[in-house]
Amino acid sequence: METTLTQLWDTCLGVIESQLTKATFTTWFKNTGINKEEEGIIYISVPNEFVREWLMTKYNKLILKAIVEHASHIRAIEFVISRLPAPAVSPDTSLFAVPANQPSTLPLQNVYINRDDNLNPRYTFNTFIVGQFNELAYASAQGVVKRLQNAYNPLFIYGASGLGKTHLIQAIGNEIKKLYPDKKVLYTSLEKFMNEYVSSVQNNRQQAFQDKYCKFDVLIMDDIQFISGKEGTQNALFHIFNVLYEQNKNIIFSSDKHPNHIIGLEDRLKTRFNAGMTIDIQEPDLESRMAIIQEKALSQEFPLEPEVLSYIASVITGSIREIEGVLNLIAMQSDMKQKAISLTEIKGLIKNSVKPKRVISIDSVVKMVSDYYNLDEQVIYEKTRRKEIVRARQIIMFVLREDFNESYPSIGAKLGGKDHTTVIHSYEKIKGELVSDPHLMKELEDIRILFK
Amino acid sequence: MNITCTTEKLKNAVSLAERMTGKALTLPTLHAILLIASGNSIKIRSTNLNLGIEIEIPATVEEEGQVLIKGEILANVCNHLSDASEVRLTLDHDNLTIQTPQHTTVIKSLPADDFPTLPIVEGEQIELKTSVLQEGIRSVYFCAAITDIKPEIASIFMYSEGSNLCFVATDSFRLAEKKIQVKGIPEISKILIPFKNIADILRVLDAAPDTIRITYSRNQIAFYANGLYLTSRLIDGGFPPYQLIIPKETLTKVVLLKQELLNTLRLSTIFADKFFQVSFAIPEDMKNITLSSKNSDVGSSVSIVDAAVEGAAIEVDFNLKYFLDVFQALTGDSVSISFTQPNKPIVVKSVSDNSFLYLLMPTNR
Repeated sequence: METTLTQLWDTCLGVIESQLTKATFTTWFKNTGINKEEEGIIYISVPNEFVREWLMTKYNKLILKAIVEHASHIRAIEFVISRLPAPAVSPDTSLFAVPANQPSTLPLQNVYINRDDNLNPRYTFNTFIVGQFNELAYASAQGVVKRLQNAYNPLFIYGASGLGKTHLIQAIGNEIKKLYPDKKVLYTSLEKFMNEYVSSVQNNRQQAFQDKYCKFDVLIMDDIQFISGKEGTQNALFHIFNVLYEQNKNIIFSSDKHPNHIIGLEDRLKTRFNAGMTIDIQEPDLESRMAIIQEKALSQEFPLEPEVLSYIASVITGSIREIEGVLNLIAMQSDMKQKAISLTEIKGLIKNSVKPKRVISIDSVVKMVSDYYNLDEQVIYEKTRRKEIVRARQIIMFVLREDFNESYPSIGAKLGGKDHTTVIHSYEKIKGELVSDPHLMKELEDIRILFK
Repeated sequence: MNITCTTEKLKNAVSLAERMTGKALTLPTLHAILLIASGNSIKIRSTNLNLGIEIEIPATVEEEGQVLIKGEILANVCNHLSDASEVRLTLDHDNLTIQTPQHTTVIKSLPADDFPTLPIVEGEQIELKTSVLQEGIRSVYFCAAITDIKPEIASIFMYSEGSNLCFVATDSFRLAEKKIQVKGIPEISKILIPFKNIADILRVLDAAPDTIRITYSRNQIAFYANGLYLTSRLIDGGFPPYQLIIPKETLTKVVLLKQELLNTLRLSTIFADKFFQVSFAIPEDMKNITLSSKNSDVGSSVSIVDAAVEGAAIEVDFNLKYFLDVFQALTGDSVSISFTQPNKPIVVKSVSDNSFLYLLMPTNR
């Protein structure tokens, strides 16, 4: 596709060149090219508005004729302005040879965030690693990009911090921008949205604020969980959401919790967030972690031995951000020592990044859980079958087994001499209910926070 | 074509238009200025495909028409027309006759068909005081990068923040930011005017009336004022998030008299080495600072400047040229310089004026 379009343009340029003077040809046709072809329309990229204007008024027919001669299915041409690739700079002048006594440069970041839409061009689908843990989220993101107006709306992606939510939703924005240049995309975080809302209230410009957000075709909002308890912001978002939703504009949210679990979120927003597609991103499995490490190492041009790679993948579990941090650490060390680092050295280096197995006494688990349910610690050990106590006891057993890997018999023995089968039953029961009961899930989440 | 108009107006319009002809381009048509007579005015148009200008001046039109004339020749002729108040332009076949009571010149014209039309910009609109635009651009443009390697910073960055219109430029060694309060300014997320066009835009703004209308899109900007239409390419890109590098805290703050500092820096320039290095030595909580420069071929100088110093002692070197540049943008009679660490940018401000800020990187020691 790419090459045929380039070839087509080259042939057309040949035809056009023969009909114009050399100066005219170079002035108007230098740095032009075919951007893409879509439904019989050829999009010709030109360097600036002056050239666009003149090619449109003066040479439109000539170009179209030349193109149709070689590609008869083309019906029309359009001109789009696209930036020239920056002239190549040899690396030795810009990066290394900074002589002493020359002013050092301001630490301006190299990756520029586009101010129109706040998207970071670094986040694309190409650099997004898909594994079992996020394939559903990835597929639905792709679905949004492909089908746009017929896609699930809103798309709500949630998962713990550092699992690539921001990457994924920014990639959606960047991809939409690439495929549909006329769509207006905005990426913003809830915090930014809120600050803007507050200043619009101060300056009495709420209407302008709403209008601004309503004119986007795709609204991407990160970290929506911070909306909890902010009524004014919720109200503003509610209205903007309705306007965009009615016009079939795409709305994409990310959060670290399921919308139902965001405390202090109004019901009308909850139901709306749930109306489209709600998908979670899990923690990456071992294979995915290996793929991620490999990709990151490659992008930093820092090769890793296979055994080092699998070692890191096995010890650093959890968030992708942690993995990045460890890789940076290793890269820096090897840079400093000017040699590859051995596995033993790496083990020493990252020992602090590895989470120690949590050690906690059964008693303190009992205390925290009973505190959470407002029960007296002692009643857990007693032989009572009062419903609320049984429930708490079962949760304690579940937590001890699931999170702290206690053996069934020892759990039973500690909790008032229960049989290990009782413990197994409780464990399975809670595990089964967790699948269907969001309240229980939430409770467990809260309890686990207490342990940290 | 057969028209008469005032000499003065024609002269001014042609001299503005002549600067924007595409002298560097291969297409001879673009070296020329197009004159279009219609209704009761004459339009003067030129472009170099970076900038385009069209100036309309009132004229008595007896016969409509258009003609393309080599810019340099037309401008030279107009410059030497005597003070006659009126001038008559007539086109006979391919020859344009320019006539005043004293002079009659006949200039050969070029075929006008190939002269491009100027792009009409559609997009956001703003109305601004011309002086705001001039002040903003003049306060920062000297910092812009001049190479095209990074087009984003080879430009002046304009955006709105609350009720302020902000102008920023940087070449990655230093950065200038000017904020001007403009009541009721609409939101402007980004305008990046190429540095190459700035001098010409300023020249046109000097000739423009008090208020000017602006229309801009992602790639193009247009300035309108009665009878004047100026359009420029914009850079489609993102300006670096410069707010992040403005130091938040200050370890040492020095306040000194602007003129005194300027004189001392100029003296230091005489003895500067080929890197234009000047050393600042700031003692802790003293009443003066020491500036020194040294050139093994010329000699050396050490100057003591009265100053109010707050905070820790520090020694830093700068490029003199970069330091001297800021004085054109500083108002008031005293200057404050804030240091953080020896290898971090310093902040230069006017004591009485918070709207302007200059960041400067020290040189490596």
